[in-house]
Amino acid sequence: MSKPIHKVVDDLPDSNMTVRLLQALDWVVPGQWKNVVGFENTIKAVTGESDQKFIQQAGERAIALYNDKSQGYQRALWLYQTVDVVQGVAGFTAFLAKVGESISFLSFLDKLTPKADKTQAIDLGLKVVSEIACFCQINGLPGDSVGDFVESLADYKHEALMRMAALVCVDGLIPLGPDFIDKGLSLLDKAGVSELEKNSRFNQIKGYIPGKNTAEQLNFMQRGLTSVKDWSRSFVASRSLSVEKIVGSLRGRIQGVESHLDYLGAFLDMGVNYFEHTGTQSIARSLIARAAAEI
Amino acid sequence: MRRRNGWLLCLGLAIAAMGGCREQPPDRWDAAQEASSQSPEAVSSEAVEGGEFNRFFPQVETPWDIVFKQEKTGFAQASLQFEAREVAVLSVSDTKSNPAAAEKFKDSQRNLEGMPVVEIGEQATAILVNDRFQVQVRSMDPVVGPQERDEWLTRFNLQAIGRIQ
Repeated sequence: MSKPIHKVVDDLPDSNMTVRLLQALDWVVPGQWKNVVGFENTIKAVTGESDQKFIQQAGERAIALYNDKSQGYQRALWLYQTVDVVQGVAGFTAFLAKVGESISFLSFLDKLTPKADKTQAIDLGLKVVSEIACFCQINGLPGDSVGDFVESLADYKHEALMRMAALVCVDGLIPLGPDFIDKGLSLLDKAGVSELEKNSRFNQIKGYIPGKNTAEQLNFMQRGLTSVKDWSRSFVASRSLSVEKIVGSLRGRIQGVESHLDYLGAFLDMGVNYFEHTGTQSIARSLIARAAAEI
Repeated sequence: MRRRNGWLLCLGLAIAAMGGCREQPPDRWDAAQEASSQSPEAVSSEAVEGGEFNRFFPQVETPWDIVFKQEKTGFAQASLQFEAREVAVLSVSDTKSNPAAAEKFKDSQRNLEGMPVVEIGEQATAILVNDRFQVQVRSMDPVVGPQERDEWLTRFNLQAIGRIQ
């Protein structure tokens, strides 16, 4: 049996580098993310209830739903946990590539490791695809149409919105610059998806997207990705996000930022797990919201 | 003498260490975790698909919006929004998956449209349709109080929900 969900949520750190990073990015989505940790605290935050009998009932129903593998919550957690591990590896690889570029006698590394930009772009793509897959595992396909699904994706709040904001800043803008939408997310256009299909990780995740066959899965993902692309464009524009503004907000808050500016994206990749952290919180939120409605 | 004292010290430390390895006291969730590990099926195979409920949620117009959030077997949930701000959470669930949820309506003190209604916690009101489907409104903002929750419950198409097989 996998780790019980109440322990997973109880074990969420209330302070570490990931938490400091997200707090440093609060200005991007002001007030949306409060680092709620602990199973009981999450029940209180999601339901607005403080009665212990209610909390016990809701918590028990949430545990039961989580332990039923067919309901998808364990799969989603696995995805959120492993995408950050992949991230760490990709980050390290990108880091090595960057180091190779800047120190000529290490330039052989450039031949061994993929170009940093492409690694980061693939990584961004995998994260977006993982997010869509996790969303479907956790929440199903809300509404009656892909339009409803897209609306739900666009209506992200709280820790889910913070996760997307961090994705744009840490995995988009910092490593790939202001053209990240074209460089990164364009990989996910029709032609790009076939590029991703060569990636074994992508093929693992693809299986978690609803659809009777590969064509349906890809089509569904396409709609989701288009939505994320549109959303990202509007998100960056409405907040006038720039690499300078983001790096500026990290200075002094995250140790090592100053000394790793050239490869900040890769450096952050290795030290933070914001996807897993906020992903766990999103799973807990949906699970508890459902449990509270079913008791 | 000194050697014996050394041995006693070691023995004392060993006993203290074993005491520290005593099992942690049970936490409040252990029983539920154990029970569901034994029988992990939490959703009844007879429960209807959540998609069956969607079209019976309230119909609204701007500045109100209903944004569907979850749809799983036996369950559908939406965010009720006013000017893009969530003010309540609306849901329908099939109590086949959790019969205890239907049981609580036996103590109901009041009805709406002839169906029993109960308060759940401080923030939610629920109605049981056809002895099977629980429709619930949970306040997420003070603009939706107990009276408004009743109104929103009646704005579901409760008769149609009652006809679902």
